Amino acid sequence: MQNLPLNGIRIIDFGQMWAGPHLTQWLACMGAEVIKIETMLRLDFMRMVGIPPGIERGNVNAGTAFMSLNFGKKSVTLNMNQPKARELVKQLIQKSDVVTENFGGPVLDRWGLSYDELRKIKPDIIVYAGSGYGRSGPHRERPAYAEIVEAFDGSTYLNGYPGSNPFTVGVSPWTDATQAMHGAFAVTAAIYHRNNTGEGQYIDAAMIEGSINFLGEMVMAYNMNGVTGERMGNRDRVMAPHGCYRCQGDDEWVAIAVSSEDEWQAFCKAIGSPEWTRREEFSTRIGRWNNQDELDALITEWTQERHQYEIMELLQKAGVAAGASLNVKDLVDDPQLKARKFFVNMQHPVGGELTLPGLPWRPADDTTPSYSPAPLLGEYNYSVFGELLGFTREEVDRLTTEEVIK
Amino acid sequence: MKDGALKGLKVLEFGEFISAPYCGKLLADLGAEVIKLEKPGLGDSARSWGPFPDNIPHLEKSGLFLFLNTNKLGITLDVHLKTGKDVFYRLVEWADVLIESYPPSEIEKLGLDYANLSRLNPSLVMTSISPFGQTGPYRDYRGSDLISSHMSGEAFGNPAEGVDNLERYSPLKGPMHAADFMTGLTAAVSTMPEVLFLQTNGIGRHIDISAQEALASVSRQELAFCMCEGLCPTRELGRKRRGGILYPCKDGFVCLWIGPHWDKMVEMMEKPDWTQLEMFQTPMARAEHVEEFDRLVSLWTMEYTSEEIDKSAIVHGVPCSPVRSVKYVVADNQLAYRDYFVEIDHPVAGVQKYPGAPYKLSATPWQIRRPAPLLGEHNTEVYCQMLGCSPADLVQMRQAEVI
Repeated sequence: MQNLPLNGIRIIDFGQMWAGPHLTQWLACMGAEVIKIETMLRLDFMRMVGIPPGIERGNVNAGTAFMSLNFGKKSVTLNMNQPKARELVKQLIQKSDVVTENFGGPVLDRWGLSYDELRKIKPDIIVYAGSGYGRSGPHRERPAYAEIVEAFDGSTYLNGYPGSNPFTVGVSPWTDATQAMHGAFAVTAAIYHRNNTGEGQYIDAAMIEGSINFLGEMVMAYNMNGVTGERMGNRDRVMAPHGCYRCQGDDEWVAIAVSSEDEWQAFCKAIGSPEWTRREEFSTRIGRWNNQDELDALITEWTQERHQYEIMELLQKAGVAAGASLNVKDLVDDPQLKARKFFVNMQHPVGGELTLPGLPWRPADDTTPSYSPAPLLGEYNYSVFGELLGFTREEVDRLTTEEVIK
Repeated sequence: MKDGALKGLKVLEFGEFISAPYCGKLLADLGAEVIKLEKPGLGDSARSWGPFPDNIPHLEKSGLFLFLNTNKLGITLDVHLKTGKDVFYRLVEWADVLIESYPPSEIEKLGLDYANLSRLNPSLVMTSISPFGQTGPYRDYRGSDLISSHMSGEAFGNPAEGVDNLERYSPLKGPMHAADFMTGLTAAVSTMPEVLFLQTNGIGRHIDISAQEALASVSRQELAFCMCEGLCPTRELGRKRRGGILYPCKDGFVCLWIGPHWDKMVEMMEKPDWTQLEMFQTPMARAEHVEEFDRLVSLWTMEYTSEEIDKSAIVHGVPCSPVRSVKYVVADNQLAYRDYFVEIDHPVAGVQKYPGAPYKLSATPWQIRRPAPLLGEHNTEVYCQMLGCSPADLVQMRQAEVI
């Protein structure tokens, strides 16, 4: 077994959908033992999202969305309506370091598993509660999804082309990712504190509060000068040229960012110093910025004769930042991602041979993250209740018949 | 004042603009002792970025810099000079963690690569941030927020609605510097477990963060659909959507997530006749007639202001938000209730309101202990009190433009 940094940390995870599962996926890949508490009565919706061809709809183990968000976890099923199930969870929590959840409201409190209750049975427990708007205030139980949060936090307002309407942020779901990752950071920081002092704590994380951090510059500009910003497409407040340019192939594009006078000179040389590059209005950064529409049209004349990777390599060799604009299907073939083995292969009992994106956590030595496939629903009932709580197979079977395990 | 969760953790930050500083900020705001190293003269490029009060550029008043560098100590050092490098080595001996974001080949040329530094401090945790990573054919390629947005697939899928004119509308990067922030956050999440490993085992490691991968990882769901289901979004159609649609209203747009909330939505619209039509009775049927569906919902939303719709959505329990500019974000009641925005007094920039805690930790609260440092503000404190240089050494270093 490898020495992964979170070996020995055990997490009881009630997370579902995207943000909760992605948070604990990070920690699982880093070596934590993550026990995902599920129930057949109310499935994690992601279990049915993205079912590959040839597998029946509604197969609870076939959702590729779920598979991409739950590497390395153990799934157990418990019917939390039953007092006995709550008792079992408490016993698991007693043997754990962290509890995570992202329910739409104080569901754990209703189950008698509030932080105050949990610290009675495990004084140094760390409880993470993730939610859209936070667990206090007028919106504390308001339902949230990433797109709603992005409209709320100001991202959508700024997402678009110059003069266009606002658009929904493309990557789905952006603020679930920011929430998951701020959460993983906060949980590991809390473990550091616990290791030093023996003290656990409660973490209340609001999606909106993490995501506004990403827009800190916008908040500062408003508070300083009362400006609300505008949609800028691929353009920059200072640099020009700075954009995404049409290439030769079908809907093929390349991004180019020229950030200094040296880079502008290098750029002109790399594209063969056409006559227009010497024009007066393009001789200064401000001139180029003020005449961007024309500049971009002239650059496009050059880019549309070439392919994206060809342009990227040519400009990069000249010291100019450029990159192919890739669709998800192109990423698998990108030479850089390939060389770094960003994609991982795994054998899933239902999904078969899968290729899925790894995590960007990259130890530079030969340590590799623990990539094992997402668990089947209830796959670890025997082993978790057996190994951690000492139940025999017969006892687990009886709990299943009694619908405690369900 | 309570101690932060990361009290006692010693961090050296050697990087500029957004990604490395955001990583450093996350650590510093939870109590780590972060020493930020800047080049003499202009310092971190974020100091020149702004926004500036009244749009007057000033190295100590850039909003981006002030926000990203709270709770850090600031020193200046020119690592290109021999003396500067020696001082850097001593700082590395002091540090538990080094965060850097210089091009891989430049770091090697300067002799500040992990192989070298780990000889001085064998248990060093070093996190290197670069556009494409420390290995692979593009390791020395240049990047930026724009480039990582496009090279990761993030931009190709933006906007989510798709576009009606492929030639006119190119793939679109996300708002502000979202990609740079995501890279910094990825670095922080990847660094913390190594800090725990150091804490429990005394072993440090080198972490290699690629901005391209940090961003590509966020598209993991689309990547899964594409590789396992053979479903690839086109720019005309945008990505497959189940909710979170923008609808026009009297004064802008609202985002509504109808999905499983259809019954509540019907109540909210006061049951117009069309909602009873057979063609809208199941999620599948609504998806099949999505254009007609969205048109009919728009007819309703256009009768109201975004605030009216938002209020009604709260009553009916429909997930909703107006598409808000920062003006409304800053004035928001929920955020005010949770004391999200914080006022910080800075000796040159004065009192400004900043975004606050991304999470509330009950025992070790996120807190502001000091504003962003002035350029070289803590040179004396760090070089003399910490490293034991004499005042004369400091004068000499200043004259030689090492600091």
